Amino acid sequence: MSVSMATKTGPNPVVRLIKTYPMELILIVLVVLLILTAPGFASMRNLLNVLRAGAMLGIIAFGMTAVIIAGEIDLSVGAGAALAGTIVAWFSGALADYVGGTMAALIGFVAAVLVGFVVGFSVGKFRQWFNVPSFICTLALFTALRGFANLITGGFPLTTFPPGFDFFGGGYLLGIPFPVYIFALTFAGMHFLMNFTSFGRAVYAVGGNMEAARLSGIDIWWVKSMTLGLTGIMTAISGTLIASQIGSGTGTTATGLELDVIAAVIIGGTSLFGGKGRIWGTLIGVLFLGCISNGMTLLNVSEYWQYVVRGGIILGAVLLNQVLERVR
Amino acid sequence: MLDANPPQNRTGGLLEFKDVGKTYGQTVALTQFSHRFSPGKVHALMGKNGSGKSTLVKILAGVILPSEGTIRVNGADAIFHTPHDAFGAGVVTVHQELSLIPSLSIGENIFLGRLPMTRRFGLTMVDWPKLHRDATALLHEMGLDLSSHQLVSTLSVGQQQVVEIAKAMSFNPSVLLLDEPTSALATREVHLLFTLVRRLRERGVTILYITHRMNELFEIADTCTVLRDGLFAGSVEMTQATPASIVEMMFGETAKAKRPARKVIDRSGAPVLQVEGLTRHGLFADVSFKVHRGEILGIAGLLGAGRTEVMRAIFGADRVDAGSITVNGKTLTAATPKQMKEAGLGYTPENRKEAGLVQILSTHDNLCLASLGHIAPSGVVTRAREQAYVGRQISDLAIKVPEPMLPVSALSGGNQQKVVIGNWLNTQPKVMFFDEPSRGVDVQAKRQIFDIIWDQAERGLAAIFVSTELEEVLEVADRILVMRQGRVVAEVDPTATTLAELYRLCMEGPTA
Repeated sequence: MSVSMATKTGPNPVVRLIKTYPMELILIVLVVLLILTAPGFASMRNLLNVLRAGAMLGIIAFGMTAVIIAGEIDLSVGAGAALAGTIVAWFSGALADYVGGTMAALIGFVAAVLVGFVVGFSVGKFRQWFNVPSFICTLALFTALRGFANLITGGFPLTTFPPGFDFFGGGYLLGIPFPVYIFALTFAGMHFLMNFTSFGRAVYAVGGNMEAARLSGIDIWWVKSMTLGLTGIMTAISGTLIASQIGSGTGTTATGLELDVIAAVIIGGTSLFGGKGRIWGTLIGVLFLGCISNGMTLLNVSEYWQYVVRGGIILGAVLLNQVLERVR
Repeated sequence: MLDANPPQNRTGGLLEFKDVGKTYGQTVALTQFSHRFSPGKVHALMGKNGSGKSTLVKILAGVILPSEGTIRVNGADAIFHTPHDAFGAGVVTVHQELSLIPSLSIGENIFLGRLPMTRRFGLTMVDWPKLHRDATALLHEMGLDLSSHQLVSTLSVGQQQVVEIAKAMSFNPSVLLLDEPTSALATREVHLLFTLVRRLRERGVTILYITHRMNELFEIADTCTVLRDGLFAGSVEMTQATPASIVEMMFGETAKAKRPARKVIDRSGAPVLQVEGLTRHGLFADVSFKVHRGEILGIAGLLGAGRTEVMRAIFGADRVDAGSITVNGKTLTAATPKQMKEAGLGYTPENRKEAGLVQILSTHDNLCLASLGHIAPSGVVTRAREQAYVGRQISDLAIKVPEPMLPVSALSGGNQQKVVIGNWLNTQPKVMFFDEPSRGVDVQAKRQIFDIIWDQAERGLAAIFVSTELEEVLEVADRILVMRQGRVVAEVDPTATTLAELYRLCMEGPTA
């Protein structure tokens, strides 16, 4: 998609720029405004915090982008992230005496990733076998996974992590928060997957026209299930980072995360109808949401108004995309 | 809002046409049609595709206005700007596509848009008891044993067709148009429909019955009026007509199709594709055939004969109940389209918008859809790697595309069809199914598409060609299978048969 946009010619270079990179320009304007008005926004420490918060959300959002382009949705990522954190914490506690704390946490992480993948992949298979829409299936998981997380913890935060575990969520490597590296890696990986592999091309085809993709000999259910499975993996990674940052595995963390993730994907220009969207756009969406939240907090905007503004932004971004679609 | 209480007892409509014509820009669809449809009879309207039949239906339904001429209903001038105008004049059309809402009851469907209202507790609300009472009365009057409360989704296609007619009758029409009402019906359901049509005739309703099926004419119609190339070709009383005389009216003096010199096909070796006893209950049964390398096998048949269904089933897109499919000597069972593609089959679907192309993706992407496995055996693809495949099809098939990176939806029908074909040629198939490749494309593009098929066959492709236009099947194919009601009823040599004969086979089968 990025190529088709770049090759589009307009009458005036400025107009063309605005039409081609609307969200990028709005993000730049927002950042400039915040630097000028919000006290402390431009400090390195603050910017790195924006990135760290964005990373937790963004890692999942890149997977979600693929899911939405494939014409599906996943509402369970917030609950999934909480569950992953509790799984890592549980293994860390239960196996520490046998294999050592570090190994126990690693086993827990692998288990969380496996659970994430299997649950996500199964959502796709449910759609195939029983014709249950992913919206319904993941709505059920939205509730159920959080229930499992609380069953694992017994309702209390598990603080069984080995020493040094807080590095992954809260630490710095070469002056940059560790989650930001994972964020960057996920971006690069998903960008490559969606643009330079036959799997990525198939995701666009399946979301754009399921029947045409099927008749072209593409295994549409495998493609859809894999996008959901990948998102499950990313959810587990993000959930582990969150648990590391807050120092415990708990069933009550990451509430509402799924809606922020979906909002970031939509602000980035991905169509909920499927077939259309970019990983790059999602990156912009994640940064945009992160800057606006941080900026409003620094400007002492009431939390309630922040919700209203974010709602307006989601709607505004979708409208902008619709309007641009018409003038292009 | 439609009139809930149309005039009562308005039957026996006299329908007169005087010099009615319709042109679309340069294209003439109907010319100087003058005819008088006498009241209280079943008038069949026949003609092959493009004869002007559908234009006539659209004019009477109030979908389009005629360019010239006058129509009179019971002596009064009738100009239908909207379907509502047509209802008002007592002319009601039951279209070929069903327009009922499956999730609603029969009664609500019948009175949709004009639900009876009542005032209770100071509120205006739907009068459900009256609605179902009226609907039940209507259904009984027509001799239908259906409950007004029943959901339309629980009905068979035939019953839905009947409800559609009941809905039309609730407008109390003097003229009822039935546009190919039997095209989707099983034999038993056709009888149900005919009983209803006869009953309506007894009540004095004038019925215009559009059909492709010859045998139905003799069973149900009183007269038959034929259109050919937008012109009135004749009208006969059914008592004086024979199938041969009607086919002659439909086709006139037909010229032999022109085909390029085709080399003799070597049928001595093993066939590339062999199908034995393929059956899917209710759709087709016991279909067997072979195709050899370089051969173009045509499948002829009317709409609903099962042509598309058979092809889709062979390609693995739909389920098969019995039978075997052998590709290159290898028998495949319950294969998916993906496995069939790997075995060397390709399929260009009849509806390129819904099934052939991903409209929002670029021409470039659409040309690579089926062949990603060829282009990128490792799974990693780049635009540059794809470019070779895209460029080859664009130049080989002469696809007119200003910018391959723009959405394919911007292309003309003919060019989109070439993209569908190019997408499959990129997989280097051994056997290709061409399902209605010429539908909705202009004459020049049609010639080019036929040239592509002939050219690919020269290079060894076994092609299976399906078209509703029998002229095209005669022109393109080396050998023709005739399908009728889900079965292969005949095999003909296109060089030794005529269009009228092929048409007769499609309509009546070989014995009649």
